[in-house]
This record gives sequence, structure tokens and C-alpha cells, in this order.
Amino acid sequence: MLEWILTAIVRALAVSTPLLWASLGEIYAERSGVINLGVEGMMILGALSAFVVAHITGYPVAGLLAAAVAGGLAALLHAFVSVTLRANQYVSGLALTMLGLGLAGVLGRGWEGIPLLNTLPEISGLTYMGLALAVGLWLVLHHTRLGMVIRSTGESPAAADALGVNVHLVRYLCVVFGGVLAGVAGGFLSVAYRPSWTEGMTAGLGWIAIAITIFAGWDPLRAVAGAFLFGALFHLSFRLQAWVQPEALRMMPFAFTILVLAATAGRRRGQGAPEALGLPYAGGER
Amino acid sequence: MRWLTVLVVLVLAGSLAAPGIAQQKLKAGFIYVGPIGDYGWTHAHDFARKVAEKKLPWLETLYVEKVPEGQTESFIDKLIQQGARVIFTTSFGFMDGTLAAAKRYPNQIFAHASGFKRAPNVATYMADFYQVYYLNGLMAGAATKSGKIGYVGAFPIPEVKRHIGAFALGVRAVNPKATVHVRWIYEWFSPTAAKEATEALIAEGADVFGFTEDTPTVVQVAAKRGLPSFGHYSPMHKFAPKHMISGQLVHWDKIYVDFLSKVYAGKYTAENLANVDYWWLLAEGAAELGGDFGMPVNPEWKARLAAVKVGTPDLGRISVYDLVMKRLAQMSDPKVTFEPFTGPIKDRKGVLRVQSGKRMTVGELNSMEWAAPGVVGPWPKEP
Repeated sequence: MLEWILTAIVRALAVSTPLLWASLGEIYAERSGVINLGVEGMMILGALSAFVVAHITGYPVAGLLAAAVAGGLAALLHAFVSVTLRANQYVSGLALTMLGLGLAGVLGRGWEGIPLLNTLPEISGLTYMGLALAVGLWLVLHHTRLGMVIRSTGESPAAADALGVNVHLVRYLCVVFGGVLAGVAGGFLSVAYRPSWTEGMTAGLGWIAIAITIFAGWDPLRAVAGAFLFGALFHLSFRLQAWVQPEALRMMPFAFTILVLAATAGRRRGQGAPEALGLPYAGGER
Repeated sequence: MRWLTVLVVLVLAGSLAAPGIAQQKLKAGFIYVGPIGDYGWTHAHDFARKVAEKKLPWLETLYVEKVPEGQTESFIDKLIQQGARVIFTTSFGFMDGTLAAAKRYPNQIFAHASGFKRAPNVATYMADFYQVYYLNGLMAGAATKSGKIGYVGAFPIPEVKRHIGAFALGVRAVNPKATVHVRWIYEWFSPTAAKEATEALIAEGADVFGFTEDTPTVVQVAAKRGLPSFGHYSPMHKFAPKHMISGQLVHWDKIYVDFLSKVYAGKYTAENLANVDYWWLLAEGAAELGGDFGMPVNPEWKARLAAVKVGTPDLGRISVYDLVMKRLAQMSDPKVTFEPFTGPIKDRKGVLRVQSGKRMTVGELNSMEWAAPGVVGPWPKEP
């Protein structure tokens, strides 16, 4: 029994690692007031970059760095469109997802069916780094001046602007930071979790990361719980098939996500979405 | 003036003949359900499309990938507008859309993969693996130490059930006590689900793996733990050169080349396809045993399989390696002198499903819902 639980915990940690990284990034972007629905697109670009660079150099860590850069660059595009051009953030994010999936599909054509020889272990530094990152990001967000600046940018950009905060710069940095983390999350998939490249291999994990962001109430520590819970449910949906109807189990992680979202929909002020989330800010119009 | 008349006639004939010659090229359109980079089903169809194009100089092809099953008809319209005379629709879910479009385009030729509905201008075709699965089962039965073989299944539909059934029959022919543990992922393409399903099976003690999913995930996960597996659909040997024992490989190109050649020769028209159903197996070259083309059994595993001896009713005592080769030869023979689904076969509940001495028909195989003995795990729609 103990072994049963232990193996389940290990599997839950492995599944939750990319979800945690991606949702931590999204939390920072959204805390600054920019919703980025392009997580899936940034992740897949990260996955492809990581695979290609790890394959060429032989160093999976180099691949992860490339994934971070790719994710960051993709996010920069979203930041430019939604912060500088003040276009609709939802549309821009959706476009980024489609662009990322399409671009990775086309660029990755020659990399399919190639095994990666040098890979990272699955419960790797990234798992522990993700946990440490969550604590660090929580501390920064709630106990530093920088965190206050980010939060106020997302809650009331006009007030932050009046106090001398460069709203555009903060939003740019947070969105790009989110992209870097999403890129690494994708890289984890292609160099550690399932070391190979296949078109569409992120298979919806980016969307789940966005759901975890909301589920966590935009809080990095609660994102750990959300990611772990989803990882555990996902793994258990296969583990429990010997006893429970597989059709029912298959819906479990997703049904649970919806349930929790519904249950937490009416929560108190301060735990909900940042006030200015999704609203473009035009500097000087206060 | 006569030479001028001749010239005018020649020029006229030439201008009339020119489009005639241009029309000599046959344009075929392919509709895929997945991305051509899935390294599974769609990848294999696309590979075959390219092989056919290379082999048939008069062939031109078009394709659309990732087509949602509900939108079959509009994509057929698109391909026909682009000049396709033959349309291949390559997923079970495209069946009704293909039939509806075929009614609207009575002069076009259609062929639907893995379906059962035909029309004067709609043929059906399928390259099936159940025989190869049986051979893989023989090897899996010899390779398992725990007696538990894991299987990651896509959807619990007759095709996949038939494959698992044949696999289990092979396992039991070598290792009567071994069991095949099944986990369903309800996706054709989901590397994450395939990964966790494999991990779940490993945690429960399975030590040899087979699967139906469109990526090499199961092979990779098993190899990471040093466990053997069987590839599926595409050559996956290089993902686990030490651990992959064998697998199933498809040659849709054999069917495409045959079908298109007959269309080109005028043998198949938009009026005579109602009885054209390709059900191609080992003997026709549509399926191949192995983890890579031309390698039925991984040389790394040859000695280990040769060391296991089993008793058979027809061949006496024989090594598993020789048994696999012998059965492969029997099923590749045009006369097919061995069939895995030959009675008497009872299902796992003890109900007699195949009468003694009888072979299952194609129709029975295509609608098979029962679970073979030795299969453990959920089995939706089990009779």
C-alpha cells in the first residue's frame, strides 16, 4: 500500500512539473494585468527548441535554455500586441497559441521520429526548482516592493502610474517572464518527460496551466497544490481503471477543475482576479 | 492548299489533344484526421502517399491534415475544387461524411479506410494487424518474467479489441498463465496519457508492453526502466534499440498503388466499387512484422527467444523464435495456412466464440467485442 501511494506521488510530481512552471509564469503575467492565452503556443515552441538544441548540442540543459528564450520571445510578441498596441489580449493570446502550434508543426517536420539520446531524469532539478520558484515568487509577490508594484499594476494601473510606476515596462517584464517559464515547461516535456519531438505534443497542458492559475487564485503557493492535484488525478485516472469505469475516470481531472472553479467563483475580494486583468492601459489617460 | 488544311487540322487536333494529355495525370486527394507528424496513423498514410507518388509517374496528390471528423464534406468539396478525381478519407469517423459527399459527386471516386459502408463510387480499404499482433504475443509470452504484460489501448472499439485479443492468444500459446493488463486512454494521439498509462502499468508489475497510440511514448517509457516492448505503426526501433523486441508496421502504399493503378487503367470506375473492399494483411504485404522495416525480430532478442521452447499441436516442440518465423511464413503464404482466430476459442468469461475448426470471418473480426482469455482490465461493451 505504501509503495502504491509513493509511486502515485512520484508520478503526480512528474506530471505537475510542467503545469506548475507554466502556471507560475501565467500568474505573474496576469498579476500585472495581462492575460495570456498563448501558454499552449509558448510551451510547444519551448518543446521544439529544447528538443532541437538538446539534440544538436547533446546537452539537455542547453535545450532548456533555448526553450526559455523561445518562450520569452513568443511572449514578447504578445506583450507588444497587447501592451504597446493595446489590442484585445484574449485575441492576441489565442492567436499566439495557434501561431505557436502551427509554427512548431512546420519547423518540427524534420525532427519527428528521432530519438533523443541524452535526456534529463524526470523527477529532475526542474521539479524541485519549480517548488522553490513557487515559494520565491510568492515571497516576492506578497512581501517585497517589487511584488507590490506588480500587483498594483494589475489592480489599478492608473494609480500605479500616478505613483511613478512604468506600467508598460512592468507588464512587458511580467509577460516575458511568463513566457520564459512556459517555454521551460514545454522543454521539460521534450527533454525529460517524454524525450522526443511530436507535433502537438503539449496536448492541452497549456490550457490546464491556465485553469490552474485561476484555481490557485493567482497565488504561486496555491498553484503548487493545483498542479499537484491535477497531476495526481491525471495519473490516478489510469491507475484506478482496474476498479472504476475508465470513462468516468477519464473525465475526473477535468470535471474536478470545473467543480473547483465553480466552487471558488464567488470568493472574497483580494482572492479574485486582478481588477484590471485583460484591460489595456493607455499611459497618461488618467 | 491541301497542306494548309492538313496543318490546320493538325493544329486543331494538337490543341484538342493537349488538355487530353494533361488530363492523363490522375489527381488524388487525401483527408487525414491527425497531423502528418504524429508518427502513427496519419504519418503512415502520408508516407504511403509519397511512396505512391514516387512509384506512379502519372499520379499527383493533394492532402489536408487535422481534419475534424464533422467537417469531412467541406474538405472533400475543397479537394474536388482543386481537381482531385479520387478521394481517400482515412479515419473511421469520416465514413458518413464520405458517403454523403459521394452522393453529391456521383462521378468522383472515393475510398474510405477502416469503414464498412460502400456505394457504387465508394470503396473501403484496411490494412490490418491482428496477425502481426499474434506474432508479437508469442514473443511477449516468452519475454515476460512477471507473467504480466501491459497494454495501452486507445479506444475500446472492435479494431483495438481484435488486436488485443490476437495479442493475448499469442501470449497464451507460449505462456498459458500469463495475463495481458489493459489500460484505456480514449485518445488516438496523447503522449501524456500514454505515458501515465504505461507508468500505471509498470507500478502494477507489468514488464512487457504493447500499445495502440500514435507516438513512440510507450516504447520510450518502458525502455527507460529497461523493459521490453513492441512498436506500433511506424518504425520505432531507434527509440529503444536494446529493448524493443518487434512490432507492427503498415504498408498503406501497397493498397494505394494497387487501387490507383486500377483507377488509372479504367478498371475501377465511379460505378463499380460497391463490392470493392480491401482487407489486406501479411499475405498482401500491407502489414509487416518488426520494429523497423526489414527486421522482423530485433537481433538483440533472437537468442533469448530461441532459448524458450514450447509445445505446439501442429509443429511439436519448437523454440519461440522458430515458432514466430514459422507462423509468419504460414500467414504470409497466399493460401494463409495458419490463422490466429481459429476455433475452438472461448472468451474470458468461458463462452465459446469460435467453433472448433472454424476461422473467424472478416465481418466477425470487424465487429468483435469479446475479450480473449488472459485479458485483464476494463472492457467496455463486453458481451
